[in-house]
Amino acid sequence: MENAKISPRQLFVLIILFQLGSSLLIPVGLTAKQDAWLAVLGGMVGGLLLFLLYYKVGSYYPGLVPTEYMAKIWGPFFGKIFAFLYVLYLFYLAARVLRDYGEMLVIFAYPETPLFIVNLLWMVLVVYTVRKGIETLARTGEILFVVVSILALTSLLLLVLNGSIDTKNLQPVLEEGPVTLIKAIGESVFFPFGEIVVFTMIYPYLNQLKKAKRVGLYALLFSGFVLSVTMAVNLSVLGFSLLSRSNFPLLSTIQTINVAEFLERLDVFFMIGVVIGGFFKITIFFYVAVMGATSLFKVKESSHLVFPLGFITLFLSVGIASNFSEHIQEGLDIVPLYLHLPFQVIFPLLLLVSVVLKNRKKQKKQLAMK
Amino acid sequence: MNRKRTFLFGLLASLSVFTSGCWSERQLNEIAMVAAIGIDRTEAGQYEASYQFFNPANIAGGLQGGGGGQSPPVSVYTATGDTIMEVHGNMSRKISREPYYSHTNLVVVSEELAQKDGIGPVLEAFDRGSQFRVTTAVVIAREVKAKDLITTLTALDKVPSQKIMQTLESTEKAMGENINIDLEEIITALVSPGREPMISGFTVKGDPKEGAKQESLQATDLPMTVEANGNAIFKNGKLAGWIDGADARAVLWILDRIQSTTVTTEWEGRKDGISYRLARQKTNVSAEMKNGKPHISVHVHMEGDIGEVIVPVNLKDPKTLEKIERDVGEEVKRNIESSLHYTQKIKADIFGFGEVFHRDEPAEWKKIEKKWEDEIFPNLDVDVTVESYIRRTGLRNNSYLSEMKNK
Repeated sequence: MENAKISPRQLFVLIILFQLGSSLLIPVGLTAKQDAWLAVLGGMVGGLLLFLLYYKVGSYYPGLVPTEYMAKIWGPFFGKIFAFLYVLYLFYLAARVLRDYGEMLVIFAYPETPLFIVNLLWMVLVVYTVRKGIETLARTGEILFVVVSILALTSLLLLVLNGSIDTKNLQPVLEEGPVTLIKAIGESVFFPFGEIVVFTMIYPYLNQLKKAKRVGLYALLFSGFVLSVTMAVNLSVLGFSLLSRSNFPLLSTIQTINVAEFLERLDVFFMIGVVIGGFFKITIFFYVAVMGATSLFKVKESSHLVFPLGFITLFLSVGIASNFSEHIQEGLDIVPLYLHLPFQVIFPLLLLVSVVLKNRKKQKKQLAMK
Repeated sequence: MNRKRTFLFGLLASLSVFTSGCWSERQLNEIAMVAAIGIDRTEAGQYEASYQFFNPANIAGGLQGGGGGQSPPVSVYTATGDTIMEVHGNMSRKISREPYYSHTNLVVVSEELAQKDGIGPVLEAFDRGSQFRVTTAVVIAREVKAKDLITTLTALDKVPSQKIMQTLESTEKAMGENINIDLEEIITALVSPGREPMISGFTVKGDPKEGAKQESLQATDLPMTVEANGNAIFKNGKLAGWIDGADARAVLWILDRIQSTTVTTEWEGRKDGISYRLARQKTNVSAEMKNGKPHISVHVHMEGDIGEVIVPVNLKDPKTLEKIERDVGEEVKRNIESSLHYTQKIKADIFGFGEVFHRDEPAEWKKIEKKWEDEIFPNLDVDVTVESYIRRTGLRNNSYLSEMKNK
């Protein structure tokens, strides 16, 4: 852990930028077809429950990060093994998100530039930010949050003026039946809402620890709402069929804007918004992974680890899949089941059970001593 | 300290190389902007694509001098290939610059190609490529080659593709007999099981050979004109028929795309005696199951003014206006039913009734989705109701024609 403090407002902004980051890029809940926006809202509720779970576990060890309290709960040996697995998970996710954004830039803007170079440029920025620390990142977030909000509101206004929003595309509601909707909700719980698990490494920096719960819940509610609106807008502009064929639906949506024959080709709105979101998503994942490694291996200065681990993440991002389709398929089929489910749900639940049992024993002992 | 500085300097220097966007830079004099693409089919079944390139210097020069430049504002090159990508490659043999598609706003597909091979395969490369825009308009070349539309020069609008685009837009607004539909809408209709696309046709009147020459533009009455001409109806991605005039307008009416138009109606035996100028309209289409059969209801609500009378009519009398309202409503209803009859005959649901049914009766839709086009749609019961209102009669009430009669 570095010696830093962030305010509740900064934490709020960081969570929102983190949540919106890649979920604006890659559509969520498409199993539910035109009800994807409902699936997102359902996923948000699941995310809120997961958040409360993480909060409960963390509340037994205020001021400590998971890699530290795992060792206290499960003993130094098992605790450290699990903490190590968590660090690997975080690095993998950082590499995944980096790949998402690198691919987006190559597909859309730099078709002749190798992916490695694009990712390298991302990583230079990310490594620099992580060296500067969480306070710098949080302050950057406050500024860029305003930029993203302005872009989002302008785009929405232009889409309405343009008349491209056709709510008929959202009908019929619940066509595929409740079972499919629940399945889609299940998917969107893990991505993006369950990824809030990384913030368990950041809460200890909050200067008013009492507010952590409120800030987390509000931020999740807000980002769930924004995501659901975005999804509904994408669906009503593109229709499900085009949306499901688009690699980046929000881009296609924004490309339909043509107001008064001159306000058109606003692709750059998408680029700016998404690059800002991507920056926060990659940086937060990488930051948390580096901090986890630092505390796990008792390295004195986290900045010593930033460069080497940055290179590993960079190579990992290029190596994890041989093409974009494979990358997306892994993200949809393998990652949720084999990575998100254990790391976001099962392990935290086990932690909670262990810590509650432990505390009960302690209390009994204390009672007996009296 | 010194080592750190050297490192930072090296980092900054490398950044200036990587971030300046020079990786795949293209200078303006290395690219040729494509204004429009026309695609024909050769005898051998290959694509023959004609690219209309901007001649930037001639467009700008003309605006300043106003003398009608010596060389045309666009140049056309033609290449063939089995795929659009192959055409793109072959094009490089003929033109010194790289075609640049970001400003392409029109794709013309020839009637023959649309009939024989279908429109589906042609559009795939345009949908996928990142330079190309999904808002690009698509039209069908009717009775002429797509190349003729691409090569014919036009007055008023210097760039021919611009002229086609704007004609399409203004005629849809003013008359509603042609549909202005873009690439994305066409693809959506192609994949939807409950809808088929309808695409505007364009044709060249006069001699296309003359039309390609700059000298032709020296006349006030051009030897050739590019005109909107009917709409192509597609079935399973292939051109199945044409729909023109009032029938085509009726299709746009059902699609709720009519913005303004003129409806004429018979009065006291005189054909087209009264012209009704539409001010606004709203059409609702809904679907339901009636006696176990799919049923579609179309409801039109329209308001407008009297635009012209060529027979004496007492327009001061509200009763007369009521009768005109009824007649106009009947006329629109007849148009709609006639276009329905035609499209049911060729089994192409260009109205998107299937989609409406899907929205309103999702459970039933699952059962009939597969046989919608060929079995259900051709025998569909459609109930058309038209509510029309005349709000005012322009600057005059009774026409001077009434007084001439009394003289």
